[in-house]
Amino acid sequence: MLVVAAAALLLYWPLMLWANVGAAQRSLNSGAELGCATALACATQLRNPVLPAPAQLGRSLQAMSVPPLAPTSVPYNTLVTARETVVGLLIASVLGVLLAVALVGSRAFERLTLPWLIASQTVPVIALAPMLAVVLGQYGVQGWLPKALIAAYIAFFPVAVGVAAGLRSPDPMQEDLLTTYRASGWQTFWTLRLPASLPFLFTSLKVAATAALIGSIVAEISTISFSGLGKMLAENSRASDTLALWVIMLYGAGLGIALVAVLGLIERLVTPWRAGQSR
Amino acid sequence: MASRTVALGRGRTGRLPGRGWLALALGAALLLAAVWNVWSFPLDGVPPGRKATSLALIVLGLAGGISGLAALARRMTGLVPALLAALLTLLAVEGLLRAYGVPPGLIPTPTRVATALYTSRSVLLGDARVTFVQEALLGYLAGVGAGIVVALAAVRFPFLERGALPYAGLFASIPIVALAPVIVKAFGLEWPSKAIIVAITVFFPVVVNVVRGLQSASPLLLDLMQTYAVTPAASFRLVRVPSALPFLFNALKIGATLALIGAIVGEFFGTTGQGLGFRIQIEAGRFNLDIVWAAIVIASVLGIAFYGVISWLEMRFTSWHASRRQPG
Repeated sequence: MLVVAAAALLLYWPLMLWANVGAAQRSLNSGAELGCATALACATQLRNPVLPAPAQLGRSLQAMSVPPLAPTSVPYNTLVTARETVVGLLIASVLGVLLAVALVGSRAFERLTLPWLIASQTVPVIALAPMLAVVLGQYGVQGWLPKALIAAYIAFFPVAVGVAAGLRSPDPMQEDLLTTYRASGWQTFWTLRLPASLPFLFTSLKVAATAALIGSIVAEISTISFSGLGKMLAENSRASDTLALWVIMLYGAGLGIALVAVLGLIERLVTPWRAGQSR
Repeated sequence: MASRTVALGRGRTGRLPGRGWLALALGAALLLAAVWNVWSFPLDGVPPGRKATSLALIVLGLAGGISGLAALARRMTGLVPALLAALLTLLAVEGLLRAYGVPPGLIPTPTRVATALYTSRSVLLGDARVTFVQEALLGYLAGVGAGIVVALAAVRFPFLERGALPYAGLFASIPIVALAPVIVKAFGLEWPSKAIIVAITVFFPVVVNVVRGLQSASPLLLDLMQTYAVTPAASFRLVRVPSALPFLFNALKIGATLALIGAIVGEFFGTTGQGLGFRIQIEAGRFNLDIVWAAIVIASVLGIAFYGVISWLEMRFTSWHASRRQPG
């Protein structure tokens, strides 16, 4: 794994030089003061590189995260987005599980709504976020809560569909066994269906976590917000600050990876009997 | 097909045939009456009496319609109950929005959306062509192609699988929105930058799934091939490829839902003035929500159709697989 990472880094250098040389040559031709002589040397020092040089990236990474809790620093904004995402994910999992129980409990409910649940996964729900934000804002829901709600809205469908599949997953033999024990519907649910759905729950929660993160970032972009990764993305995208965008992307990626990793950890604690098989 | 199942169900359960339909029709009629009751009033001019009547009609209509649908859905399969449920919901939404005078700058009524869909169809279709055909479809094909090639390489060279595959899972949890602005800045505002975003989002699920699929081939079958002295290439084609197909199609379906989202999100960060994402953003800024919702409807229809085509292909190519054999 480390060898491949090293190889990727080594390949990155010529790629970066190749991508930046054209832009560097153009700014040299335009007569700008760059403090470097040849296009190849300038390729690592562009203000807005196509691909940033590692040293450049490291410098702005440091510059943007040094007072970690200042309102303009990336770590602080990452935490804001993380809060929206986690709250959204919690709301989404409660809603999703309730919906899944209803889906499994009633055939009629399933036939009326399941096609729409499946369809909703193919719908670019992202496109709804700006409107949801406007509507919620109109009714006085402001600040970080609407972003969490939008994150929840985007994330609860994967949970519902996944858990519904999980609640149906127990072996028919086991269901028959519980029937011979004269277990009630609720007892079957608590002792058999719910535990059987847990692995599915965690798989879909991992999907939902990324979805929720996307939701909260998009919500921040498309609504009035004063902090968060999305707000920083929108600002720096408008200002064409490529280096800042790269730094924010790295933090966003880190947040996404951390969320999935935490869920994996919880999964291992909650379903220890599967620790060997699942990753 | 739906009518056949209804007939079968009727014969089996011996229910009264028309009761569900009757309740549904009654509910729909009540909802229509609720809409008609407040149809011709301006936004803030609905008299309180009419508003209350409409509200009561909506509650009654929904209760009747849903109870009828519930009875029907017990015996009916397929898309019909879901479509009827959507019809009821749309009617109720139309009635509620009109009764309460919700401004169209907040939530437009379904009829306004339908009108916008019709009047600005040429613009929207142009947007759909850019977003779907150029950005989503081309990016999807490129991502799937690259994913399959990398997966084949990873299976062929275990070194790559151990070294590079863990990164695939890692990269897959990077949110597209964080990636999109960087790529748009690096590759320009034209459609290729969005196609590249789509390709990247599709790439990782394909790699992970195809590798898992190629390795899921039963060792017994591979041994059997060896005893038949089949060449490795033929054994690959006859055993490994078929066992990878269900996994590939799983990834293709995930990718189909991601592709449109990737294209639309990419457009939020800069375009050359066409595309559904661009349209949604700019018209939402002007509070022209009719057109925004119309664009969303088009995007949804495209997304569902895309997913449907992939599912159909899946059925054609993996109809032998265990997951397809189960009823329902």
